[in-house]
Amino acid sequence: METHYVQNADLLQTLGGPRGKRMIGPAPTPALAWLVSMQDSASLDGLTQPRAAQSPKSLFLPPSESVSTYGPRASPTATETQPLVMLGVRACELRARNYLDKVLAGGEFHDPAYRRRREAITIVSCDCADCAESCFCTLVGGQPFATEGFDVNLTPVDGGFVAEVATDKGRQWLGQIASTPAAPAQLAAREKLRKEMTARLHKQNAAYATSAFESVPAKLPEGDDEGWQTFAADCVECGACTHICPTCHCFYLYDQAAGEDRFERVRTWDSCLLSTYHRMAGTFGMKPTPRPRLSSRLANRVLHKFVYSLRQYELPGCVGCGRCVDACLGAIDIRRVVRDLSA
Amino acid sequence: MNSQNPYTPVPAELVEVHDETPTIKTLVLAPSEPVEFKAGQFVQLTLPGVGEAPFTPSGSPREKDRIAITILRTGVVTDRLHECRPGQTLGLRGPFGKGYPLDKLRGREVLVVGGGVGLAPLRALILALLPETDTIARLSIRYGARCMEELLYRNQHAAWAAQKKVDFAATIDRPQPGWTGPTGVVTTLLKNLDMDKANCLAFVCGPSIMLKFATYALEAEGLAPQQIYLSMNRRMSCGMGLCGRCNIGPYYLCKDGPDMNYGTIKDYPNVF
Ligand SMILES: Cc1cc2nc3c(=O)[nH]c(=O)nc-3n(C[C@H](O)[C@H](O)[C@H](O)COP(=O)(O)OP(=O)(O)OC[C@H]3O[C@@H](n4cnc5c(N)ncnc54)[C@H](O)[C@@H]3O)c2cc1C
Ligand code: SF4
Ligand code: FES
Repeated sequence: METHYVQNADLLQTLGGPRGKRMIGPAPTPALAWLVSMQDSASLDGLTQPRAAQSPKSLFLPPSESVSTYGPRASPTATETQPLVMLGVRACELRARNYLDKVLAGGEFHDPAYRRRREAITIVSCDCADCAESCFCTLVGGQPFATEGFDVNLTPVDGGFVAEVATDKGRQWLGQIASTPAAPAQLAAREKLRKEMTARLHKQNAAYATSAFESVPAKLPEGDDEGWQTFAADCVECGACTHICPTCHCFYLYDQAAGEDRFERVRTWDSCLLSTYHRMAGTFGMKPTPRPRLSSRLANRVLHKFVYSLRQYELPGCVGCGRCVDACLGAIDIRRVVRDLSA
Repeated sequence: MNSQNPYTPVPAELVEVHDETPTIKTLVLAPSEPVEFKAGQFVQLTLPGVGEAPFTPSGSPREKDRIAITILRTGVVTDRLHECRPGQTLGLRGPFGKGYPLDKLRGREVLVVGGGVGLAPLRALILALLPETDTIARLSIRYGARCMEELLYRNQHAAWAAQKKVDFAATIDRPQPGWTGPTGVVTTLLKNLDMDKANCLAFVCGPSIMLKFATYALEAEGLAPQQIYLSMNRRMSCGMGLCGRCNIGPYYLCKDGPDMNYGTIKDYPNVF
């Protein structure tokens, strides 16, 4: 693939101003970077911080959006399809996007709103030059740099970035920025960073790198196993883990009036951890639910990621970004769950 | 199915409403474009502005321009559906799911076990099989309801039973004046089953507690798990394997079901 070299100052010029308006990227903070419009934060520093606190999932699959209007006076659903550049997407996030593609646009039925957003996005990914303590991509078959799935991929090297172009969309984006062909020394620096980061991730996850993670799918017990209760005891059923997760895509649909003789159907994130998630109709006070126990819902979430997804999509449902580890109010670390419960 | 957007319902005019029991009505809809379904496939029925609920059409799949849906009133959407009047426009999405494995029924003894409104989805199977009973060995229908008034399709039972190779038995939970048939829950009709058990396939639909005890009763009678199909009519939203809501293990009931072979799902917890 073509590799170029872009100087920091030249890349910085494309942020801010009108072009930054349709560009979302990481703004540096003292803790984790935060995804914002680059018009408001013309800085490259977020690119060399660990992955951002939020995942970019909401750019493809917003927390709530109208997916259909119907009724005698309905107009076709207008989903925003303005082009958008996503800057600084990490390798784990690309794997997650790949997973969402399979779920929402890879089977018999496609989600049209997802597809429209997906197609309007140019992905400028970036290798990790730092990682969070909770990052564990290397445990689940990933690595801290992307080799596919992007339009352009950046690697921070001395004074700038090596930019690898994979698509025409990417070539067009990079065409707006002054660049030179990447020199051998710059490519060597890229290799060095990739090796160092991979080694660092292996090291920080050494305590979890057991046979539990080597076996794919994981040898986890089903939800009725008592082991799940130990972890469920710490879960406060907030749903933070599912909402922050870049692959979790559970939603529900609800309908509402959108004017006279016009109705709209809204797709809203849902969480399989919540007690209302599976609840069925029935006499008030005794609505039956197939997973009444929190431990079986927690088990279902983890099993879906590490076992069922492989059967359904031939992909693991966990990309190792570690966000659920950071977000969990009960301090449940999914690495520990998988390690301790895999026989 | 709307070809552009699977979330958009196809408008369907409500043309007839039949009171079946004090709690169950059948709505007959005329969709504005054909919604063809196989017996056992289900649809999402939209009450505009209120919401959707999944139902398995209860009529014959051979009828192409009318869809009959039999509905128990039990919550927000179904209560409002019971108030609908002919002339109103509702919406349909689907069909979804696999439908009954009709190709596996050739030469078989087919046992249909329904509880309450669970006879509705099964009627699509019964109506699909009645004109072709020469291809199967037998069609045996066992049905249970709470009381006489709650017996669904009561005026059709005799006609079904009169057909060649078909037998029918119904039970109500407790004795009641005017009822001469068996009493007790539907599993009482499954004791000492007089069927060719090795060649039998059973289809069960009803509330989850009934699915459970019917399954145990059928196993006690010697049926293997692979001979039992259960209508897993659980909470659903999208109906097409996207929203994640309806899984048992790696199976999405909306996509891989809703009728699931018990042998496939029995080792997962929370099946019932
Ligand atoms: C494949 C399938 C086929 C079905 N066929 C029939 C049928 O032929 N006749 C019939 O009377 N009922 C049938 N049901 C059950 C019917 O869908 C529910 O009774 C109905 O959804 C209850 O909705 P509600 O709004 O009145 O109840 P509420 O308790 O107010 O429920 C609110 C929402 O929860 C969901 N929900 C609640 N209970 C269920 C449930 N049991 N299954 C699925 N979603 C639920 C719905 O999205 C509903 O809108 C079927 C269910 C499924 C999954
Ligand atoms: S983030 Fe933690 S406490 Fe919250 S639902 Fe998930 S596991 Fe439970
Ligand atoms: S109802 Fe959405 S996945 Fe089955």
